[in-house]
Amino acid sequence: MYDVVVIGSGASGGAVAYTLCKAGYKVVMLEKGRLIKRHEFSKDELAYCRRDLVTPNLFEEYHTIEENVDGKWVATPTYESGWSFWNGNIVGGSSNLMSGMLHRLHPDDFRLKSKYGDIEGANIVDWPISYKDLEPYYDMTEELIGVSGHYQKHKYEPPRSRPNFTQPPTQENDVVKLLDKSCKALGITSLVTPRAVLSKDKGHRKACYYSNFCGSYGCSSGAKGSSREALTMPSLATGNLTLLSNMHVKSLKSNKDKVESAIVVNTITGKESEIKAKIFVVAAQAHESARLLLNSANKFHPNGLANSSGELGKNLLFSGGGSGQGELHKESLKEIKFEELMTTGLFVNRSVLDWYFIDHWWDGKFKGGSVEFMFEHQNIISRARKHNSENAKLVWGKALGDKVVKRFTEQKSIRFEIFNDWLPNDNCFISLDKTHKDKYGMPVGKLRLEGHPQDVKVGKYIAKKCESILEEMGAKNIYSSISSSASQNLVAGGCRFGNNPKTSVLNKYCQAHDISNLYVADASFMPTGGSVAYTWTIYANAFRVADYIVKQLQNDKV
Amino acid sequence: MQSKRREFLVFSSMVTLTSYLDADTHSRLEKTFKEVKNIIYEVQKHMFPKQNRLPAAEDLPVIKFLYETMAHKSFDKDIREFVIEGARELDNRTEGKFSSMSINDKEKALRAYEEIEYGASWLSRIMTLTMEGMFSDPIYDVNIQEQGWKALDTTGGQPRPKMRYLDV
Repeated sequence: MYDVVVIGSGASGGAVAYTLCKAGYKVVMLEKGRLIKRHEFSKDELAYCRRDLVTPNLFEEYHTIEENVDGKWVATPTYESGWSFWNGNIVGGSSNLMSGMLHRLHPDDFRLKSKYGDIEGANIVDWPISYKDLEPYYDMTEELIGVSGHYQKHKYEPPRSRPNFTQPPTQENDVVKLLDKSCKALGITSLVTPRAVLSKDKGHRKACYYSNFCGSYGCSSGAKGSSREALTMPSLATGNLTLLSNMHVKSLKSNKDKVESAIVVNTITGKESEIKAKIFVVAAQAHESARLLLNSANKFHPNGLANSSGELGKNLLFSGGGSGQGELHKESLKEIKFEELMTTGLFVNRSVLDWYFIDHWWDGKFKGGSVEFMFEHQNIISRARKHNSENAKLVWGKALGDKVVKRFTEQKSIRFEIFNDWLPNDNCFISLDKTHKDKYGMPVGKLRLEGHPQDVKVGKYIAKKCESILEEMGAKNIYSSISSSASQNLVAGGCRFGNNPKTSVLNKYCQAHDISNLYVADASFMPTGGSVAYTWTIYANAFRVADYIVKQLQNDKV
Repeated sequence: MQSKRREFLVFSSMVTLTSYLDADTHSRLEKTFKEVKNIIYEVQKHMFPKQNRLPAAEDLPVIKFLYETMAHKSFDKDIREFVIEGARELDNRTEGKFSSMSINDKEKALRAYEEIEYGASWLSRIMTLTMEGMFSDPIYDVNIQEQGWKALDTTGGQPRPKMRYLDV
């Protein structure tokens, strides 16, 4: 029998397995996707970005999405809409495919309610832990995963125990000179983005080779801080990890007090089996973790495992905000040489935290968000496609050639992405669909996805500021798009942690209140999401949870 | 956000239920495709003509790519049907004469087709399926000697794929 079953091999599953394997415990990691090794990744745009190579076929596995249409909730299967909520179902999960622009949460993100009070229609609560509890693990992540960057003091930059990053920033495109100067002219501080990409070799992983195709692709040097490279490879080296890919967990079998086994199906052969262990750690990405626990209902737990509070699946979080873009044109470029701008592969590496909190005599006092700057994704097919229309009509023939060639050779687009809190609310949750089942016969997750109006208000406020930066840079055709649409690649919540078993699913160690050998290690625990991408916090919290599990195993409390 | 993709299916009548392309489906597709292959290819040639800054459709096996892409089991079955139905619709609208039309008349016919949402979606889909070949890795046999990439003064990332997803 294994000590621990870890369900999911993404950021959190990798972190839990790493800590346990290093401590000498026998772990089995179950990943429903396949293993793609470093040398097997390529920059095949068709395969990785335009076909379902790393996610399930939506006709076989899908979600249903509930949206409010004229006051009624209407559910549409994602095979109808094409709006997939799968993110990298391969060993290492979506951490293989991330762009790796990471930030820590701010200490006030842990106490949003105390700091800003209630907002009508939002279920805001303080966290049961503080930034201090998580800081050592943010630091550990920075070192182990390999976050490169450069620390600059800033009023909204969270405190850190290590003076500076051990990995210097990745190489930057000259455009940062123009960006920094433009920000300065506007009294805005541009900061170096911490990035989960190595600028220097680290153990078995090689430094970034600036391929120009980073986000959405697996890394071929191991520079990107995927859990597969940074954690699962070393875990396997301990001899304590059994990695089972193509192994989907259908449900967990439990008695009143304990989970007894995971009911798994081999996705290639279709053969079902049972895997037993002392402890079960669910790390399947927020919406799927909640679905698994809901699908594990039995006579002892009729509403799903760990759901005596009725909170399981509730208060699902995405990311508020949106993005914007402007074009830098050859003929009007300032400050830098066009050839330098067109140099491929180098990063923009800039973020702005000036509007993380807003306290303004006119605008008011409210929680804001963070901003990342980057070039438009360099995918060739998608960039060509994007420029094949004018006034809502397709362009073809000679006009198409002229337009697309000009676009590729005389312009480069710079983008910003805004991350602000997705306020938890009663109309954003996952439940089980009563009619739709996946190919394994299990009810699919039904996602209700309403955002809070405040999210859009904050996003628009920040977008306006970002547009002014692009204007100052001399960019043309500037636009931004802020919406209340859910970000399918940034999911959290659904299994809130808290001290009160009546209002939360997990305790402060992400252990189920109801079942002592069950943990949820992914972003599900977050009661509020903060205003940065979740990844660094997911890694850090999973390391914290794993330390607690090790203590439980050491003290034989299982 | 909902049904952003499938609004165009209003005309479609032959949606099959299986997601796999079994031998039967495959031979049916092959047969059906033969009927519309020519008109689709004519549209591709009109969109990507000679004397253009982009490679010409007639110099590259863009129609073969389009078929191979659609025939793969990973390709969305609804879009597969849509490509075929949309071609038939264009054929009907032009009374079977599209291929023999002058360039000007082809332009008029396609612009008229674009006026209806269904036609606009279909034309956009054909352009996408053509660009996917032209600008994908040369391993897919359309972007021959990187003609597509060279036209845009760009190149794909390293490492290049060693096999096509179609063969996995």
